[in-house]
Amino acid sequence: MKIFQAMMSRRRFLQASGTAGAVGATAAGITGLTGLTQAKEARASRPRGETKITKNICHQCPARCGIDVYTTDGRVHAIYGDTGNPIANGKLCPKGHLGSYFLYDPDRFKGPMKRTNPNKGRNEDPGFVPISWDEAFDTIAARLNNLRERGESHRFAHFYGRGWGASDAGLYGDFGKLYGTPNAAIGHASMCAEGSKRAKRATDGNDSYNSHDLRKTNYLLIMGASFLEAFRPYNNMMQMWGEMRSKSPKTRVTTVDVRMNPTMAASDRALYIKPATDGAFALAVAHVILTEGLWERDFVGDFTNGRNQFEAGKTLSKDAFNEKWVHGLIDWWNEELKDRTPEWAEQITTIAAKDIRQTAIEFGSTRPAMAIFERGPTGHTNGTYNGMAIHSLNALVGSLFAEGGLGYQMGPAYGALPVNSDDYLDDYARNGAWKNQPRIDMARTERWPMTSHMMQEAGPNHLKGDPYKMDTAMFYSTNPIWTAPNPKAWEEALKDVFIIDTSPFPGETAMFADIVLPESTYLERLQDSPTYPFEGWPMTALRVPAIDPIYDTKHFGDMLIEIGKRINGPTGEFYKKLDNIENVLRHRAAGFANAPGDNGVNDFESWKEKGVWYRKPYHWRQIRGEFYEWEGESYSKRMTPAEVKEKLLRTPSGKFEFKSGFLEQHADYINREMGIPKERVGYVQWVEPKHTGGNRDLYFVTPKTPMHAEGRGANIPHAISIHQPIAGGRDTVYLEVNPETAKARGIRNGDRVRITSDLGSIEAECRYVAAHRPDTLVLPFEFGHWAQGRWAKDRGPGHSGEITANVSDPISGLASYYTGKVSLERA
Amino acid sequence: MAKWGMVIDLDKCTGCQACTTACAMENSTLPGETWQDVLFYHEGEYPNAQMKWLPRPCMQCESPSCVHVCPTRATYKDEEAGGIVFVDWNKCIGCKYCMIACPYGVRFYVDEKPLLEPDLREIFPGENQQLWSPPYQGPDEDWSKGIGVQPPGVVSKCTFCHHKVSKAPEGTVDLDEDNPAVKEYVPACVRTCAPKARYFGDLDEPTSQVNQLIGDKHGVRLKDHTGNKPQVYYLGAGAGVPAFQPSDKGDKS
Repeated sequence: MKIFQAMMSRRRFLQASGTAGAVGATAAGITGLTGLTQAKEARASRPRGETKITKNICHQCPARCGIDVYTTDGRVHAIYGDTGNPIANGKLCPKGHLGSYFLYDPDRFKGPMKRTNPNKGRNEDPGFVPISWDEAFDTIAARLNNLRERGESHRFAHFYGRGWGASDAGLYGDFGKLYGTPNAAIGHASMCAEGSKRAKRATDGNDSYNSHDLRKTNYLLIMGASFLEAFRPYNNMMQMWGEMRSKSPKTRVTTVDVRMNPTMAASDRALYIKPATDGAFALAVAHVILTEGLWERDFVGDFTNGRNQFEAGKTLSKDAFNEKWVHGLIDWWNEELKDRTPEWAEQITTIAAKDIRQTAIEFGSTRPAMAIFERGPTGHTNGTYNGMAIHSLNALVGSLFAEGGLGYQMGPAYGALPVNSDDYLDDYARNGAWKNQPRIDMARTERWPMTSHMMQEAGPNHLKGDPYKMDTAMFYSTNPIWTAPNPKAWEEALKDVFIIDTSPFPGETAMFADIVLPESTYLERLQDSPTYPFEGWPMTALRVPAIDPIYDTKHFGDMLIEIGKRINGPTGEFYKKLDNIENVLRHRAAGFANAPGDNGVNDFESWKEKGVWYRKPYHWRQIRGEFYEWEGESYSKRMTPAEVKEKLLRTPSGKFEFKSGFLEQHADYINREMGIPKERVGYVQWVEPKHTGGNRDLYFVTPKTPMHAEGRGANIPHAISIHQPIAGGRDTVYLEVNPETAKARGIRNGDRVRITSDLGSIEAECRYVAAHRPDTLVLPFEFGHWAQGRWAKDRGPGHSGEITANVSDPISGLASYYTGKVSLERA
Repeated sequence: MAKWGMVIDLDKCTGCQACTTACAMENSTLPGETWQDVLFYHEGEYPNAQMKWLPRPCMQCESPSCVHVCPTRATYKDEEAGGIVFVDWNKCIGCKYCMIACPYGVRFYVDEKPLLEPDLREIFPGENQQLWSPPYQGPDEDWSKGIGVQPPGVVSKCTFCHHKVSKAPEGTVDLDEDNPAVKEYVPACVRTCAPKARYFGDLDEPTSQVNQLIGDKHGVRLKDHTGNKPQVYYLGAGAGVPAFQPSDKGDKS
């Protein structure tokens, strides 16, 4: 009768602790225990208040899924995908449901504050004290006005991560122009996924991620893209996965990656590749597509005599082939591809030649087929060339702008702002000294000529005073003091910069802030968001506040406008006319009047109600080697080569370039930085990666997992508690190690281990995962914070960035996050 | 009355855990109180290894072990509610007998050491007899069916989102989230599933979508040898996955 006794004592405990209520209705007696248990007041169904549903856009990743936010009695309690949003289609990924935890995060900043402790560092308490918004804005404006008067306005920099649209990062351009700083918009692209954009710029002339027609594709070759974990828009990728894998014919999938992951596991064929060698694999696939005669003749062209003359190792005469929409094919073959056999690639990639050949034959003989890639191949010093090799496969099988293939993204039909910044330029804005200053990150200068942003360089550059020292920096939705490679350099750098942080949460940047301007969380904001590349046709969604801000917080765009109003001269006038974000959005939405959305959205009010404006279809389509433009009912307007060059294949040749004119324009730079002979820089080619970490013996990869909620997952208990896969979850995020690798170092499953690079060491708990390569360690990033909130701070494992060297692909500028080599030992 | 059943197609499931987070959100559960969990497994060795996953809600068994062992009849199978197995929090004494009896590990008792610290129960302390009172809790509460935030000292479990499902119009056969007329009545895990690996409907209606899928795609029930007869069916080549050891127990160690 031990159970009986246990229950008795439990009952006594409840009574003693005062939670026991009246004995309620008794259950029918069957066990003799009846009546023991009524420790609580019996409760039945309670009535609920009125539930309101508002439209919003998820903030947990760049995908921009439309969401329905459920609020009852002033409290947000549920978030579901918006059925009317073409990305979400009523669905969400695991992160999408976390929004209310962000809103009610007990660590949120409650209002504007200023620093009282002048010392800055990890262990320095900032000594924040509350101030009014007016004091905050006046302090900042006084500082900026003073800089401008001294002719040093270039020393003010804006840094941003997730720019959403016209109502936040979209305001930067005018600010820089009016105030006078080249640093008005230092984006995080170079710490994100710039490599794939640059690979596409170099080959097809579009500096962008692709849109995809996944619904119609029959073959996917996925290389380092984490399609079922982080590829965007993730939620929609999973919807498409469900369709692709259950349609007839079922879309076949080959995944190439450096580690076991859900995409590998769910594919028809999983090929493990040695890190940074994806380009070699793709070149061998291209080689086989040509030697086997599987290329798309309508798009690529054909031999003049109609016979396939591609033979391994054999050069060809340029005259032998008539190119159609590609440029440099025979040169490429002769100079690079003829020797890139599967047997050659096996030596580089460790993927068996037979598997490369088989993949190539499948990919080349299934239409439509797509090769997609992201940070895996491009997060290395040879990243752009790796990406170009993979993207070349799309050209060879003719999937560019084709049904079931890849395109690019159209922008929304926005109206103009109520004021034009050109009308508010004073002499300083037009001709001030700032005009001669480079950006602090040296992007788009001779140092990084092919980049758009180089945020990871800004901290180290400031430290060196080269090109100059920053005076004031304002951060929006970015935290490079923690996320940049080798972030400790940033900790030194930001000690003597006046920092303004705008995060709703106490991140690492905020710990260095002189002024904290807390933004409202996304569920409290009015904000627009044109889509990332998705299916090509234009779309823009809207955040509508579900509730008034629960603390004294503002929208970032309104902060920028308020600061602008306080800048002396015409700049202040411009911002007074702009007035506020709602005004900005109303003017943007006016553009819908002449281009009503497919869902009837034609003004600001209907946009708020429906949450999204979009207009199908995508305007261009390549059909059997001819390009057509949409004419209202069908793709019927045949495009001239000049139109194709202007709108679609925007390269110097107006064709897909296996010999890149863009890269050839920078031949001296590429030769200097990468040692590639000048005459060869344009070719899609194999380039040896330069791994950091010297002679260390293990690759170290730090993937983004499905539970990685942007910038904040580490402080959300509900996210931490299920942070899987592979071996994580249940409150611990593990370093995943092949058991042979671990055992050779005397490491047991569950041991605490030390991972060391040239920069130092971090610790983690080891989990045996026999499904990983023995030469590759896997540790999800996002953990090891020294701020961010009560759950994130000091929660293991260590922060991967701290042992990641600040080395970037010279072409794209993408930080080589995945290229460091490390050693492993028991801690 | 319908007999509610769920079908989970493991060939389409991507292991993303949206079912898990949607469930936690909809039912205001604590970290670790994962009524709808996804278990990950791996098997084999590089370069020929497998990784699999199994989403696991309460099976709402036709012959539930938990009901048989409950000393207070707190846990019961409600045929009037479509065969859902509920815990009546007014009667539950937290003895955890049901947790031991359940072959599927889908019952939870969260009064002890929290999975994660700092403890959310201390940050959002219980009011009005609740174990904890988070500001984001849902508006639905029915302790007689284990819906809402529980009081201290009771076992909690998946209710097939009864507070939603029960509002479906009488005679609804398929609770399909793609049908706007019924999406609000679909269980959270089914409604959000992006690859549409989940289906929900009436097992007593031969023409229902769930019965069609079970028939066409050879649906199986987990641990059928126990005789529990789940109302949750799995489809797909991966349906044999529970034979593996969960990876967080550690393999090859």
